[in-house]
Amino acid sequence: MKIGRIVLLLAAAIVFEFFVGRSPYRSFLPVDWFLLATATVARSGNFVRAVATGAAAGVLEDAVSQPLIGLNAFAKAVIGYALTLVSVRVVFGGALAVGGALFVASLANEAIVALLSALLSQSPIVIVSPDALWRAAATGVAGGALESAWNFPWREWWNRRRLRRLR
Amino acid sequence: MRPQKPHAEIAAANPRRGGAVLVMVLVACVLVLSAQAQARGGRGTVLQSWILSATAPVAAAVGALSHGASNAVSSTLALFRAREENERLRRDLDARERELFRLRAEARQGAEEHRLLGAGASLPGVVGTVPILLIERRAGVQGALIGAGSADGVVAGSALAVPAGLVGRVVTVGRGVSRAQLLLDASAAAGARIARTGELGVVRGDGHGALILNNIATTSSVARGDLVESAGIDGIYPRGVPIGRVESVSRGSKLFLEIRVAPAADFSRLTDVLLLAPSLAAKESAEPGRNTAQ
Repeated sequence: MKIGRIVLLLAAAIVFEFFVGRSPYRSFLPVDWFLLATATVARSGNFVRAVATGAAAGVLEDAVSQPLIGLNAFAKAVIGYALTLVSVRVVFGGALAVGGALFVASLANEAIVALLSALLSQSPIVIVSPDALWRAAATGVAGGALESAWNFPWREWWNRRRLRRLR
Repeated sequence: MRPQKPHAEIAAANPRRGGAVLVMVLVACVLVLSAQAQARGGRGTVLQSWILSATAPVAAAVGALSHGASNAVSSTLALFRAREENERLRRDLDARERELFRLRAEARQGAEEHRLLGAGASLPGVVGTVPILLIERRAGVQGALIGAGSADGVVAGSALAVPAGLVGRVVTVGRGVSRAQLLLDASAAAGARIARTGELGVVRGDGHGALILNNIATTSSVARGDLVESAGIDGIYPRGVPIGRVESVSRGSKLFLEIRVAPAADFSRLTDVLLLAPSLAAKESAEPGRNTAQ
């Protein structure tokens, strides 16, 4: 994946983060947009870019949401590497598989951040909470939906629709 | 399919190189975190401040966009809610208008009943008021459907009247409604008496909205304007209820006068009538084989 696209992905993640965050429906859509961007890059199979994207996305996320910069950068760099490894070693696709992988990745992200936070800030460890599960589920569903939309044959669908109208 | 760039692809897809980058990134993160952790409780880091400053315009712009979108969604939802509320209020208003109409009708009905009962105090044996549901005038038949039946104590033969005068009698009794024969019916008859002279005759309907008083001898001194009232000799109508006033007197046969009587009751404006207690004869005739249409 080209660097320009990665930058666009990160920008889109920021936009979505603020868009949903400002909305009154934010609690219904706690999607980890930065994780989605990292996973998208990881699917291309490029370890370096996946790790770099994860680190950059994590830094951005930390800057806007965490008291310590580096927590999510650490977690997302690891997750970027792991997801790239999975996408290289295992051939998988489909909305369900992608959604499931993102669900697990989001939970792992939460666990890593919780551990680091506990180590560095002496805060209590909360690895799995209802919020974390809800966030993971939302991220998984959003990822699955995006995967479905990405693989949908839009061109054929549009052509069929146009033909139907012409008849 | 990914673009064919063998060297770059192989290098990028090499987990070892990726692992090295990962280790570097993680070490950097740990260092950054450690540096921040020492300064915990302070004002925050310069890096965080820079990033926040850089993202502030984006955050403001996207926030405004999100706020606008949320407002649009809220406005749309509010519009739908307003429509639903409007429908509900309309239904509520309709129901209240119906209720108001019903209450007004009941009030009018109550006032009419009160007026009738007050005015009809002079009439004998008033049982109560009954509403007229329908009046039929067809081929000499002058009948009415009244909104009371056996459940309300109506008996076949019960006389109907208004304070102004006699109206007719109940001929068929149902449970909730009954059929009455008006005095104007071509086949209706009532024993009558000229109040001034005391002469007795029979009043019959002519089927056209007027009454004929028969059996008054040519020697009678009856005159136009004389009051004709029920005589109580027919076993149906009680005595002393006004029937009408003499309208015209002419010589009919050799023995009897032909007398036209203008009804005292205004049959064209009947809405409620007084139900009078049936006479003993009517009661007795009704009891054994009650003429009912249940």
